[in-house]
Amino acid sequence: MTATPSTQPRSPSPMAFVRVVAAISQAAGWCAAGMILAAVAITCQMIFIRFVLNGSTVWQTEAVVYLVVAATLVGLPYVQLLRGHVNVDLVPLALPRRARFALAVATSIGSIAIVALMLFHGFEYWHVAWERGWRSDTVWGVRLWIPYLSLPVGFGLLLLQLTADLAALIAGDDKPFGLEAA
Amino acid sequence: MDPLLLGALVAAATILVLFSGVSVALGLLIVSAAFLMIFDGARSLELMPEIFFGKLDNFALLSIPMFIIMGAAISSTRAGADLYEALERWLTRVPGGLVMSNLGACALFAAMSGSSPATCAAIGKMGIPEMRKRGYPDGVAAGSIAAGGTLGILIPPSVTMIVYGIATETSIGRLFLAGVVPGLLLVALFMAWSLYSTWASGDAARLAPRSYSWAERFEILPRVLPFVAIIMGVLYAMYGGVATPSETAAVGALLCLLIAIVIYRMWDPRAIWAVLRDSTRESVMILFIIAAAGVFSYMLSALFITQSIAQWIGTLEVNRWVLMGAVNLFLLVAGFFLPPVAVILMAAPILLPIITTAGFDPIWFAVVLTINMEIGLISPPVGLNLYVINGIAPDISLRTILVGSLPYVGCMVLAIILLCLFPGLATWLPDAVMGPAQ
Amino acid sequence: EARELRLSHQWSNQDVRHKVAQMVADEVAKANVGLEIKIYGSKSLFKPREQYKPLSRGQLDMTVLPLAYAAGQQPAYNLTLMPGLVKNHDHAARLVRSPFMKELEKKMAEDDVMVLVHGYLAGGFAGKDKCITGPEDVKGLQMRAAGKSFEQMLAGAGASIASMASSEIYNAFQTGVLDGANTSSSSFVSYRIYEVASCYTPAGDVALWFMYQPLLMNKSTFESLTPEQRKALRDAAAKAEAFYLEEAKKQDAESVEVFRKAGVEIAEMTPEDFEAWREIARRTSYKAFVEEVPDGQRLLDLALSVE
Ligand code: NA
Ligand code: NA
Repeated sequence: MTATPSTQPRSPSPMAFVRVVAAISQAAGWCAAGMILAAVAITCQMIFIRFVLNGSTVWQTEAVVYLVVAATLVGLPYVQLLRGHVNVDLVPLALPRRARFALAVATSIGSIAIVALMLFHGFEYWHVAWERGWRSDTVWGVRLWIPYLSLPVGFGLLLLQLTADLAALIAGDDKPFGLEAA
Repeated sequence: MDPLLLGALVAAATILVLFSGVSVALGLLIVSAAFLMIFDGARSLELMPEIFFGKLDNFALLSIPMFIIMGAAISSTRAGADLYEALERWLTRVPGGLVMSNLGACALFAAMSGSSPATCAAIGKMGIPEMRKRGYPDGVAAGSIAAGGTLGILIPPSVTMIVYGIATETSIGRLFLAGVVPGLLLVALFMAWSLYSTWASGDAARLAPRSYSWAERFEILPRVLPFVAIIMGVLYAMYGGVATPSETAAVGALLCLLIAIVIYRMWDPRAIWAVLRDSTRESVMILFIIAAAGVFSYMLSALFITQSIAQWIGTLEVNRWVLMGAVNLFLLVAGFFLPPVAVILMAAPILLPIITTAGFDPIWFAVVLTINMEIGLISPPVGLNLYVINGIAPDISLRTILVGSLPYVGCMVLAIILLCLFPGLATWLPDAVMGPAQ
Repeated sequence: EARELRLSHQWSNQDVRHKVAQMVADEVAKANVGLEIKIYGSKSLFKPREQYKPLSRGQLDMTVLPLAYAAGQQPAYNLTLMPGLVKNHDHAARLVRSPFMKELEKKMAEDDVMVLVHGYLAGGFAGKDKCITGPEDVKGLQMRAAGKSFEQMLAGAGASIASMASSEIYNAFQTGVLDGANTSSSSFVSYRIYEVASCYTPAGDVALWFMYQPLLMNKSTFESLTPEQRKALRDAAAKAEAFYLEEAKKQDAESVEVFRKAGVEIAEMTPEDFEAWREIARRTSYKAFVEEVPDGQRLLDLALSVE
């Protein structure tokens, strides 16, 4: 059986760094939930304006899309904190304890590397949009660096959370793949 | 390198990376980055965040968190219990009545929730302990809820149908309607099996339910009204010219939150946060996979793998039903390991041209695909519904759940066969409501 | 040396814009100068509005797209989808050879982008319950327009603007969320709007809706090619451009045929309607454009001065 995603916060780590990062990820989770709620409210407002008042709805679709994108990116570290990202741990569970620990470290480093890559190029993309003053091609004309900011922020926070997870793993405070049972 | 050979290499690498225990979304990104770097140069690597953002930049995706909120809000109240109890009072004389009320409650709840785990959790929290208390075997209790929960993605609204609609550019309104009749068919098959197995076990007498007076039966009906109100409200918004299907989801989410707070008195901010937290967790998990699968399919397309596979299949001279069988087998195996959205997003761009060239209807195929994905939800090693059952009843072993849900898997396979024999089961309702397809 | 170029577009294999790209690819291959153009159609690589950014950064070599999609990057591009600026296809053909287009090409050069094949496509109006010809017809209707300048003009005529993805138009027409839409002839056909509309106002002798949809290339990539390869591309592009103009004219007639066959009423826009629309556009979209773009007035005057 795979690890059950937990809705409970993990037990507090003795490392201050890990605890601070957990608090940041928790705050990011509140932001993400808030943005999803805002998207619900704006969509309902749009339907009301259009269907009841027969008015123009120019900015809502775009605002809602960017809110959901930002909620996803900013929510990444929080979901990582909750171990909510699905994985297949059939092989790890079949391995002996030491190999399992090595594999956990390896996947952790692989995750950090790919997120660092996304952070680097995501920041670059955000920077181009900022430098060139890109806007969306609608009447609303959003300055695109605002929604694109969620790329460096989301991947940056996820990188932080993954680093904290690796630290906890190496220190032996965190035991993924059922390492506690082995 | 030959694109087909490259495709085989990508498949092998993907399996290897995903089996290492890395999260599915990050694994897809790792494989994409590696292949883009080696076979396409650094300039494609620079594009990854842009593609990632672009895949999420889609209004229809909004409905995913919304339909999840609907389920989470209602499942946090005693509404699920009310629904289940109402059904039980009415189905009481039937052997195995309790399993049947649970299945019926799952089906009704599925009409409000776009996600399968939410459906499973909403009914299971009440249903599993109750069934065990009344002497039903653990396997039956857990298996029926695990399977009943999968109806969440077949009976509209459905997150996987939305994702399929986006990936293949088919009408989401039409896809939703296509799931209705097959959903009812599946409920009927599940119920028929439960009835038969209770009767065959010879325990029907022991499982005799307590009886309810007619007064008790009618008294509970008003408590089902909020459900009816939500379902009617959403249907009216969607098909009555108020809003597009993606926008309707927001109406549903708002309605469910309001009903939870006002009618079920969910006033504690911690309870509201729990709803938001669970919805955010599930939505972000799904949307992350959607975006990462988007980067993955960019890689497949940039390296000309998607195009080459479609061409290659086109040159094969195989019977279309053999092809359909092979496609289903592939989906079934993929579904063992991957959550439905990941399978749909990775497979749809490759499979859809094959399916339509062979003369199959993409709407009909969406239903077959969804039932196939339902099997994956209750099969190890990655079965989202199994996590939920495990959370509700940690003392029931995985083996027991699996054995208990096996007969229901049989029902799903039977439903796929029936759909192949009578495609009208899926296409009749959308054609009747929205006019014949193109 | 042998080079492979990547061309991305959003259109299907039957679309004229794909045929233009295919023609360039075929002609270049025939020239045998070691240049191959690989076409990624039907949004298989990038989403429609996401093609200009990688093109301008050299991550994509070529694309066929409505230039107005990139108006967020270069606001001057809004002039390529401006109501009443182009009267008909022959006028469009003169426009692409004018000083106005030279100015736009300067803007493209700022983003390291150049034009290989020029081309304009026309469009019209579809109404759910009634015909839309003049500005008074849209008052109080929920409209969806492809393009910012058209949205401004329609709002000026008293319509309500509903912003939604093009893929939702069909459904919105059917359920009555939308009362009317304004887009290209070929999009009307490919989104099957003829099934859900009651009246179609196509591009005729006068048309309001013209959109510049060129085949673009990254400039640095072009300059990195050998002189023979560049010449082969130029020759292929010239041939494709002539083909594009002829086909563009046929598109409008073909869309009328499809709508007529589906039993949809066909309406006609009169020169008086055209003038009335243009009057509204002058005080809405033209005005907004001039305010938004620093040298907007000069560019607008250049465009309007083309006979
Ligand atoms: Na559902
Ligand atoms: Na599974």
